[in-house]
Amino acid sequence: MSTKTRSHPPQPAARPAEIVREFGPFAGVTQVHGVSYDGTRVWAATGAQLLAIDPRSGEVTRSLQRTGDAGTAFDGKHLWQIAESRIDKIDPATGDVVASIPAPGGGGDSGLTWAEGSLWVGNYRGRRIHQIDPATGAIQRTIESNRFVTGVTWVDGELWHGTWEADESELRRVDLRSGEVLDRLQMPPGTGVSGLESDGADLLYCGGGGSGKVRAVRRPRAQPN
Amino acid sequence: MDALIAASARALAAGDALGALKRVALRDDPPALALRGIAMAQLGEHARARDLLRRAARAFGPHEEVARARCVLAEAEVALAMRDLGGPPRVLATVSSTLDKHGDRANALHARLVAARRFLLLGRLPDAAATLEAVDPRGLPPALAAVAELTAAELALRTLRSGPAQAALARAHQAAYRAGIPSLIAEVAEARAALDRPAARRLAGGTAQALRLDEIEALLAGGALVLDACRRGLATAGAWQPLARRPILFALARSLAQAWPQDAERDALIATAFRTRRPDETHRARLRVEIGRLRALVRDMAGIEATPRGFVLQPRAACEVVVLAPPIDGEQASLVALLADGAAWSTSALALALGTSQRTVQRAVAELEAAGQVRGIGQSRARRWLAAPLVDFTTILLLPASLPGA
Repeated sequence: MSTKTRSHPPQPAARPAEIVREFGPFAGVTQVHGVSYDGTRVWAATGAQLLAIDPRSGEVTRSLQRTGDAGTAFDGKHLWQIAESRIDKIDPATGDVVASIPAPGGGGDSGLTWAEGSLWVGNYRGRRIHQIDPATGAIQRTIESNRFVTGVTWVDGELWHGTWEADESELRRVDLRSGEVLDRLQMPPGTGVSGLESDGADLLYCGGGGSGKVRAVRRPRAQPN
Repeated sequence: MDALIAASARALAAGDALGALKRVALRDDPPALALRGIAMAQLGEHARARDLLRRAARAFGPHEEVARARCVLAEAEVALAMRDLGGPPRVLATVSSTLDKHGDRANALHARLVAARRFLLLGRLPDAAATLEAVDPRGLPPALAAVAELTAAELALRTLRSGPAQAALARAHQAAYRAGIPSLIAEVAEARAALDRPAARRLAGGTAQALRLDEIEALLAGGALVLDACRRGLATAGAWQPLARRPILFALARSLAQAWPQDAERDALIATAFRTRRPDETHRARLRVEIGRLRALVRDMAGIEATPRGFVLQPRAACEVVVLAPPIDGEQASLVALLADGAAWSTSALALALGTSQRTVQRAVAELEAAGQVRGIGQSRARRWLAAPLVDFTTILLLPASLPGA
């Protein structure tokens, strides 16, 4: 028996995801990798540049010429962006890179989010999520998943991540300690989830990968346990 | 969809194959293998590219059907660039239907185009035409549309339809410009130049006049009875009587056509057909037999009457008789002219058609192959010869992006 074989508790049934709104595709953009939200604007990493989108109008209000190949995060002041095998800390006002730390997956990284003083980084083919120290990049904790992890986000103490394998894509809420899947929202077939970020309330913004779109999905209210 | 894969794909899309390789050079997961394969193909390392793409296709999981199909398609395109035509054709059909099923229309059409070009290179023109018919060029990305039109143009040229070929090349030209790929634009220009080169000579009264393809076509469509010494046969008003496998009958027909409207002397006919300078009664008897065979074959096009000196050609409906010869004289020019029909010929069939020995044909094709004017497919006894392709597609630029979600 392989040591990787673990028994997973039965998964909850998947519910269809309710897509509230779609933004884009935007001019000159073929890919959306990471997505973040700074309280007023949705940020999307599109490869060669970072776009700020006004969620009310759907218009691009600002663009930074910064490389973004995977997840994006916002810590209240700075943007964090995965570019190749490093994570850049970017000042959204000037677009300058303030600091860089090595990414924990060495380039296999996908999603990125900020919560409680740590960065959380999805590892796509590694099927796991790392919690890292934003100053040094040292790994503090690892959560295993059984799917390819794309975007990661925290909201109201819930850890959500996107999965995307071939044509199937889901948003999943997982238990922080055991990695157990608590909730599953299934995207329509062919609709991939690259980046993921919550708006702190009822919406989850999802990067649409090769579609070049950003989609807003309604987050189900936590059920009373 | 992880960071380095995205960065590498971005470099590849910008034409920076080395930059793409640098980012994934040490990784062996399937998307990285696929990217390495495509980058190697763009650098011209076809054998290595093929190996990497094969490994990538094998390594993708059972759920990653689309990614695997794209790898197989890229591998097929690399095989085409290597002129390795040995693979089974159904692989591309399967890939195409898989991609169609998953909504990847552009790559599904691309797979069909690769299949059509493969048939064209194999000399299987009806298969190529049937495959190409299933491709709807509307809504294709410009680069693919240009390739589709180039393929259609070559098919039309091989069947001597210069009008459709011109139209397809004009559309290919526009599409290549829209795609903005310089090498593709150059290929289309090269193909258009080929249309303006002399493709045959018209022999009449001891003089020769060079003809372009559209002029040949006009001649064939007109009222003349044409003895085509390029493709070896007789043509009139859309009818075609091949004589490529009947060298003696062809030699007789050619002598009769060249002598028209006069008759051709018996001894001259015997000298060209039987290659003897000292004819006797047996040769005259053989001549009567062969003329009888030719008469039966071309009955609908022309009659062959005996005269006191020999025989004369009497076209049925046609007002004149025209002889078309290859643009230059000699064994090699005749070979190239025969192969211009795009079909695959064996050495023995060529020798039979030209009335020479197989060894002579082998020597001639070896020289032509070294000069890049013909190409051989298959091995040893199964070896067949085809004309060099009209256009050498800039294959590698069109490799699909073999990424999940790309």
